[in-house]
Amino acid sequence: MNQFEELKAMVNLNDGRIDRRIFWEDWIYQLELEKLFAKSWLFVAHESQVAKPGDFLTTYMGQDNVIVARHKDHSIHVFTNSCTHRGNRICFADRGQARQFNCNYHGWAFGTDGALLGMHEEDHYEGHINKTDWGLQNARVETYKGLVFACFDDEAPRLEEFLGDFRWYLDVILDQTEEGTEFIGGTMKNMFNANWKFGAENFIGDSLHVGWTHASGAKAVSMGGSVPEYMPVDPESFHANANGHGWEGGVDGLGTLALVSSGDPTLVEYFEKERSNMAKRLGDLRARKLYGSVISATVFPNFSFLPGINTMRTWLPKGPRQFELRSWTMVNKNMPDHIRDIVQKASSITFSPSGIFEMDDGENWENATLSNEGVVTRKQSLHYGLRVGTSRRDDPEFPGNISRPMYSDVNQLAFYQRWMDFLTADSWDDIPKVR
Amino acid sequence: MNENTEVQVMSENEQMMLWYQVNKFYNAEARALDDEDYVSWFNMLAEDLQYWMPVRESLFRKDEQADSPKNMNHYNESFQSLQLRVARLHSGAAWSEDPRTRYRHLISNVEVEAGEKNDEIHVLSNVLVYRNRLEREEYWLVAKREDVLRQVGDSFKVVKRKITPDFSCLLSKNLNVFL
Repeated sequence: MNQFEELKAMVNLNDGRIDRRIFWEDWIYQLELEKLFAKSWLFVAHESQVAKPGDFLTTYMGQDNVIVARHKDHSIHVFTNSCTHRGNRICFADRGQARQFNCNYHGWAFGTDGALLGMHEEDHYEGHINKTDWGLQNARVETYKGLVFACFDDEAPRLEEFLGDFRWYLDVILDQTEEGTEFIGGTMKNMFNANWKFGAENFIGDSLHVGWTHASGAKAVSMGGSVPEYMPVDPESFHANANGHGWEGGVDGLGTLALVSSGDPTLVEYFEKERSNMAKRLGDLRARKLYGSVISATVFPNFSFLPGINTMRTWLPKGPRQFELRSWTMVNKNMPDHIRDIVQKASSITFSPSGIFEMDDGENWENATLSNEGVVTRKQSLHYGLRVGTSRRDDPEFPGNISRPMYSDVNQLAFYQRWMDFLTADSWDDIPKVR
Repeated sequence: MNENTEVQVMSENEQMMLWYQVNKFYNAEARALDDEDYVSWFNMLAEDLQYWMPVRESLFRKDEQADSPKNMNHYNESFQSLQLRVARLHSGAAWSEDPRTRYRHLISNVEVEAGEKNDEIHVLSNVLVYRNRLEREEYWLVAKREDVLRQVGDSFKVVKRKITPDFSCLLSKNLNVFL
């Protein structure tokens, strides 16, 4: 059996069975870096983080450290953060303002577009280097309504096509207002000793864990009472997926807003007023039924968010058994300060490393990964069979593949199908344009 | 520091006594946190508490700015929101805290200065928190604390606390502890 056949047998979409080795094996992880993270569009920044020429931040595409910078012509460039002379990192700051990046080792200097500008003792290089050949590797960069994505593969389709029908869902958080969105300042970072896919699959479809894993957080919100009524399984709640991206949640328009306002009606009142404006842009379905519901979502492969709580996050792989979570809080630019403050605090108290919900996730993901160190344990496949095969594409209300209710493994399987598409493809011709 | 502040005009013996009282208070607070005795802990906090722990970043020196709660925070809490966080632990459903995490708070480098109000003092300290749970999980957190303590009877209450961590990336899966 060749490597691809062995891999394909690890995800059984018909029965909903997954081989635990995909969360453990080094060779599979290396394939992920080469065939997924070096090929796919990846979230790298929000435009507001690099608003002015010279603004930059550093992040990762797979394990490739990259600089995201606003060039003097206002275009955004994303390029490898490693000098073409001896390979040293050229920028060690998380973010800042720079006209150029100077390597600490021999003073090679690169522009905010990644071009090699010059170096210490440049005279000696006369006739020994053509500087235009020795710039940093630029990724393709495209934006979608404020979100900046980058891709290291020239053959990849455009971002719009990559996102496909999922743009309709992204608009629920990105396109509520004319002015658009921004990230509040700073980046929250923390480490998990777990496989990165557990974060991505949790946000793409795991509504089942909410009532159990997060029972403590839910009880805290109600100050010791029973789990609040905004967490029942509404038969209208749903899983939606498109091209491996997924959205799952309710349609009551209230659950998340009730959660984040926790007793203070200010935020709910604000959004009830805003909904009519929102509806002009998004229509009633998205403005009144989707926004405000308990929802979580993942943009394939590793960018996730919670509409309403407005945590936006990326699961950066650091090996098969470790990832770094970077997260931000997104707000609408036109939000008044006191609303922005409520959203920020709500996001922090629920979904940050100290948050009463997120605090309980890490232990599950770490031990779902670590238990696979046992060779016998690792041989038993995992059940992903809840409502398998129930999704349909011709839903009258929602684009993409839809399955109801949201207690389901449908989106998780769609994620692993797309993951398999990438890992076993020889070229983009092997990857279906629409899934 | 203002030469005319009350701490400055104290005799050396009086300063030592104040330093001793503050240390006694911090030791009791550390014990309450280690023992998850939140009833005692909340008795040590003022109801107008501001409890803040900003996220640190690695920035070029020229780009460094003063911390602002308008940026991402680990904690930006009131007395009430801290109670909400603790309520999670007392819910009986915090599965990831059962078995319990073993905590140890070590407080040192205590420096007492005059506060802005007569009944308040400004205190700097360093905190080292050791966490160990289950088989081999071990995490260390080190931070600077800047407190405003209010004199209440023969003890204190924390009115303001700014915790400045020495990590930019938190090296663990969560922050299930107060500093």
